[in-house]
Amino acid sequence: MRKLLFIPYLIWIVLFVVAPLGLMVGYSFFDISGNPTLENYGAFFSSEYFEMTLSSFWYAFLITLFSLLVSYPLALAIRQTKHKMFWLLLIILPTWINLLLKTYAFIGMFGKEGLVNAVAAAFGLGELQLLFSDVAFIIVSVYIFIPFMLLPIFNAVDGIDSNLLSAARDLGASKWDTLRRVLLPLSLPGIKTGIQVVFIPSLSLFMITRLITGNKVITLGTAIEQQFLTTENWGMGATIGVFLILAMMLVMTVTSGRSNKETGRVGRL
Amino acid sequence: MKTLGRSYMVVIFICLYLPIAYLIFYSLNSGGTMTSFDGFTLEHYQSVFTDSRLIVILLNTVAVALVSAGLATLIGIGGAIGLYNIRMKRLKQSLLSLNNVMIVSPDVIIGASLLILFTVLGISLGAFSVIMAHIAFSVPIVVLMILPKLQDMKSSYLDAARDLGASSFDVLWRVIIPHIKPGILAGFFMALTYSLDDFAVTFFVTGSGFSVLSVEIYAMARRGISLEINAISTLVFLVVLVIALGYYFITSRASVKRGGIT
Amino acid sequence: MTNINLQNINYQYGDTVILKNIEHTFEAGRFYTILGPSGCGKTTILKMIGGFIHPTDGKVSFDGRTMNGIDANRRKVNTVFQDYALFPHLNVYENIAFGLKVRRISKNEIRTKVEEALRFVNLADFRDRPIDALSGGQRQRVAIARAIVNEPDVLLLDEPLSALDQNLRVDMQYELKEIQKRLGITFIFVTHDQEEALALSDEILVMNNGEIVQAGPPKDIYDEPLNRYVAEFIGDSNIVRGVMVEDNLVSIYGRNYSCVDGGLKPNTSVDVMIRPEDLLITGHDKGKMNVTIDSSLFRGVHYEIGCIDQDGYEWIVHSTKDAEIGQKAALDFERVNIHVMVPGEDEDAFNERLESYQEDEV
Repeated sequence: MRKLLFIPYLIWIVLFVVAPLGLMVGYSFFDISGNPTLENYGAFFSSEYFEMTLSSFWYAFLITLFSLLVSYPLALAIRQTKHKMFWLLLIILPTWINLLLKTYAFIGMFGKEGLVNAVAAAFGLGELQLLFSDVAFIIVSVYIFIPFMLLPIFNAVDGIDSNLLSAARDLGASKWDTLRRVLLPLSLPGIKTGIQVVFIPSLSLFMITRLITGNKVITLGTAIEQQFLTTENWGMGATIGVFLILAMMLVMTVTSGRSNKETGRVGRL
Repeated sequence: MKTLGRSYMVVIFICLYLPIAYLIFYSLNSGGTMTSFDGFTLEHYQSVFTDSRLIVILLNTVAVALVSAGLATLIGIGGAIGLYNIRMKRLKQSLLSLNNVMIVSPDVIIGASLLILFTVLGISLGAFSVIMAHIAFSVPIVVLMILPKLQDMKSSYLDAARDLGASSFDVLWRVIIPHIKPGILAGFFMALTYSLDDFAVTFFVTGSGFSVLSVEIYAMARRGISLEINAISTLVFLVVLVIALGYYFITSRASVKRGGIT
Repeated sequence: MTNINLQNINYQYGDTVILKNIEHTFEAGRFYTILGPSGCGKTTILKMIGGFIHPTDGKVSFDGRTMNGIDANRRKVNTVFQDYALFPHLNVYENIAFGLKVRRISKNEIRTKVEEALRFVNLADFRDRPIDALSGGQRQRVAIARAIVNEPDVLLLDEPLSALDQNLRVDMQYELKEIQKRLGITFIFVTHDQEEALALSDEILVMNNGEIVQAGPPKDIYDEPLNRYVAEFIGDSNIVRGVMVEDNLVSIYGRNYSCVDGGLKPNTSVDVMIRPEDLLITGHDKGKMNVTIDSSLFRGVHYEIGCIDQDGYEWIVHSTKDAEIGQKAALDFERVNIHVMVPGEDEDAFNERLESYQEDEV
């Protein structure tokens, strides 16, 4: 009886996890007209794709770094509040609003006569050309990723017994020492999860780059989307996909270790 | 230190909500731009509600979400219970890894690989393929929501039920399902939000005849500023707010109930 | 009424042998206790009778009917679990009604039976309470009511008192004994607490390492433990090595003492056990063994006094009177209080020997 209930799930695993990934790898060995080839892999290591991959990683690194720098102090600040759950809800709420709508808002704010330039003008700064720049791409991405970085970190710092911090102070540690020697090591699993859930999507999101930067920034995700839906060169798209999967596995291995169940991913992008 | 933390928090929260407020504010702008506010109007809402194409898309979105979340929940319940029952550690671990692959996979990968799958299987792209894709990415999160509930269920409950004469079905229906109900509910809600929130996967697997809200918004946004989008955003925000509050109260009530008198 | 027979039962889980050659008959209407340390296999026997597991080898039969392969839900046996396993999503009434409901019994009949069961365990006022609003003792009684409402022939109790505090435990011991008498059904009770076992049982099965070491009425087991293991597990004891000189004469540390044991070859080495409450402290040179008082601990009901004999061995004495530390004294005891145990002797040989010389005495 209970075994019967398991069957649909097993079918799901085979059909929607194993088969698609297998097909993806398989397709990477075919060219645009369906002949078996290794050319896609050759092309991927050409300078054009190699530079694109490097820049995609660079942007992902910057986005992850800034998200972390904003989120860690925020997590500590929320930890000290009385109504933690309320503040957390406030953080989560924007993630329930479609990513595209939020990105779209920035088109307005970053526009020539948008809010940002109005503020800049009020401070006597010249007009900033934000839209269609990579700075805008990073700002919007960080904005989108903050909640995803924050939640695992918050779960980690919230689980730390305050007595440990008191003990550190009692033993003569300064605030900075306490942060560096107690808080940071204890919240490391949360930070790792945070990096995991931000870095991989940063490599692969394509709608933000399309909407905010036009075609100026190309990430692995943008390239895959282009190969599949515009150029219709599925073989090449699949090849980039295979490398994205490899990158994902690499990041997972680096950041996994003893990962805390509670800090698991809460949303997806 | 505390006030520093407080003010930092407030600044970040303002930044988080500023874009949303910005969208809502300009949804009431009688001018056509998101830069200068010319005057108050509700005409953008009016045009959203009179745009029958948009209404159909909205209904599509909700239907896809409900159907896929419902089916994914059913599959996920069976999957979680099945995983829970597996004794062989290796097998269990590998199945769980496959489950997690789907969760950590970037949307482009899911979208592109499902596009290949549907093409290979000869499934035409449209409502069916979109629903299948949404089920595909919703199942693992349902499983992850239910599994901990199963794990903290004492195995003596199952023994007790058998001891009292319960058949396999009775055990499932009268003991296991009631016990994991909060997980099922949470899983269903998560699946619902995943589906409503998804853009990338749908973008890959939908055909020309079928669209959901996020894909439509993308198409509109690529064409430039349209205050109809602002109006839609406001409506979405309100709906999300209501659902979020509901979800918050359900879960916090559930946790109070569980952590109550001991 | 059901007699349960375990025939040559072996049970393995993976490579681990959990039960070895278990042979026992549980007669209807008696209170049995399976006693042993954790991991000795006592709960496994319970689970086997309950139908949660099936023997690797051997036969479980109820009144001669083989029960191997028949699952828990098809046996007229119910269990009170160690953690009670009360369903948290059901209230008191619904928990007790569970077994009747899954048997598709009519609502009216369920109500009558559940209410009767509630009265039986004195919980009539608690019928609509949620489980988490009950105290430990109340949960315990709900668990009992939930089991007996199904009118089982046998009730299995898996360390049901271990989660309760000391006072409540003693109360519940009385209550359990009382319930068993009123119902007249077989109780099989598993515990690692020897006091519980002695207080409750008609018969105790002492287990070790997957085997039944000794079975019998509490008094027999206390007075005539088969070996060092049983003696140490049940009650406190002084156990020393000795040599059987001849029938009714045993030598401890080179001194001979008259005893009532026999049936052994001369010069068999034996374990000699004397219970601390059978030792009496008397004046120096006035007893059978001179000692020096070494320690004294007040235990409430008695003093636990440690004495060192001339050879440096320690003897524990339970006495209602305190003794002064450092004082020279002597220990006295009756010959019937010397219990001779032969290491390696099994239960059958032991019983045979016991019968042989006890007949002689008569």
